[in-house]
Amino acid sequence: MIGFVAFSIKRAWQGFWRNGVMSLAATATMILMLLLLSGFWIIQTGLNAGLQFIEQKVEVVADVADTATPDQVTTVEHTLEAMPQVQSVTYKSKDQALADFRQRLKDRGQEDLTGYLDRNPLPNTLEIKLKNPRDFGNVVDYLQGQQGVISRVTPIQKLVDQVVTVTNFLRTAGAVVLALVGLTVLFIIVNTIRLAVFARAEEIEIMRLVGASDAFIRWPFIFEGAMVGLFGAIITLAVLAVVATPLQGFMYGFFNVLPLEFGSLLLRDLTLLVLGAGLGLGILGSYVSVRSYLIR
Amino acid sequence: MPQLAGDPPLAAPAARTDQAVLALHDVTKTYPNGKVALRDVELVVPEGDFVFLVGPSGAGKTTLIKLLIRDELASEGQVLLDGQDLARLPRRAVPKVRRKVGIVFQDFKLLPTKSVWENVAFALEVTGTPGRRIGPAVDRVLRLVGLAAQARQVPTQLSGGEQQRTAIARALVHDPRLIIADEPTGNLDPLISWEIIQLLLRINEMGVTVLMATHNAEVVTALRKRVVALEDGRVVRDEVGGAYHRED
Repeated sequence: MIGFVAFSIKRAWQGFWRNGVMSLAATATMILMLLLLSGFWIIQTGLNAGLQFIEQKVEVVADVADTATPDQVTTVEHTLEAMPQVQSVTYKSKDQALADFRQRLKDRGQEDLTGYLDRNPLPNTLEIKLKNPRDFGNVVDYLQGQQGVISRVTPIQKLVDQVVTVTNFLRTAGAVVLALVGLTVLFIIVNTIRLAVFARAEEIEIMRLVGASDAFIRWPFIFEGAMVGLFGAIITLAVLAVVATPLQGFMYGFFNVLPLEFGSLLLRDLTLLVLGAGLGLGILGSYVSVRSYLIR
Repeated sequence: MPQLAGDPPLAAPAARTDQAVLALHDVTKTYPNGKVALRDVELVVPEGDFVFLVGPSGAGKTTLIKLLIRDELASEGQVLLDGQDLARLPRRAVPKVRRKVGIVFQDFKLLPTKSVWENVAFALEVTGTPGRRIGPAVDRVLRLVGLAAQARQVPTQLSGGEQQRTAIARALVHDPRLIIADEPTGNLDPLISWEIIQLLLRINEMGVTVLMATHNAEVVTALRKRVVALEDGRVVRDEVGGAYHRED
């Protein structure tokens, strides 16, 4: 058994180097396809993060009545926080709201006219972020029942509908594009390996004629396919590592409004994706290519 | 496939062809496209025989050889190799049966990137022969075919005759019961052809059965061995000491 594995690996190694041109072509195809797949994967991850960020922008804002006591407000806050649909609740005082408003005007370079007001016209507010923007019903119902504490709840039905329609469409489109790219990569890699195996049809025929068993014919090719996949994956990851720093800078610049985490999680997923796809497709390609030459 | 002892229907034909390396009984081969390549072929080759298989192109010689190495299965009838019915052989047992047959082709079928020595060793490596037994076995057959000095050369550095002798060495390295040679001299000039025939005769004298398909009338007529003539898928002549053409 150990002898067989050693034989298969040795033959795979020889096969890879002695058929240099074909191995190079297969590995180069593998690298390009894995880069394509990685690129779309990164775009898809960015897209999803962006959509999630946009959905989180949707929040229920409740104006707190000026007559409400701090105790009453705290009770409402706690009740909201205990609701399963709620992500977070932030209390914003009218002073803070006015300060934010002034800051925004200043950022836009507009003249600040609020100084002419005799009093702060803005209400104290509760800003409620939802886990899912669609689940606003209970929260709104509850708030509308708190007469005397909550004076007004912003109507968000229409906004939610629009945002969710757009984000759902983009999510589905992204997944479909990624799946199509994945299928393309699959077919191109399997066909490239099929060509590489076809170039050695005579070698396989001789093996059959001298009485080699199916396992002795198949496994060296499977190891060779795994080698192509592994080399391809490693080189792809090296290329990604080289472009990662400038790319990340660009991504941060591009998405600077978004608190995106292009951190270790994406890196880990990407590494697993490239290694898994490389090895898997290399092995699959060899398996289906050699199968047609075995004893019928 | 293990046979139960005392199983009369299976045991009978095996006993009948006890001494035969290969036996075909009423074999017909029809290809999926409807072409009938062999009709009712009856052929028994005893151990140690030397048989010329002759006949025009398309007579069924290649099909017959494909049946013998179980590249194709007979549509009707029985093909027995060393007593084993090839149609009843489970898939995984096919490689072992093929090792009992050494096969030589007109176009040599050598691997161009491997040396003479490696081409012969390849047959042992891919059948799982332990490494320590490969070296002596390869050296032995290379001496037998007279290629010990060319062991490190690759096929493109060899003459046609030397390439064919490499192929014969590869066919011999498993110690086969039977050598099948399909037009082994088809690509060689007359002098070199005789060298190859003499090598096959020597191998036959060592006890290996030889079945050689050929168009080489001069060789067949000169040697007066057993001649089996195929025509349109039928055996039209089977005579010991025959010539290439019918003589009556």
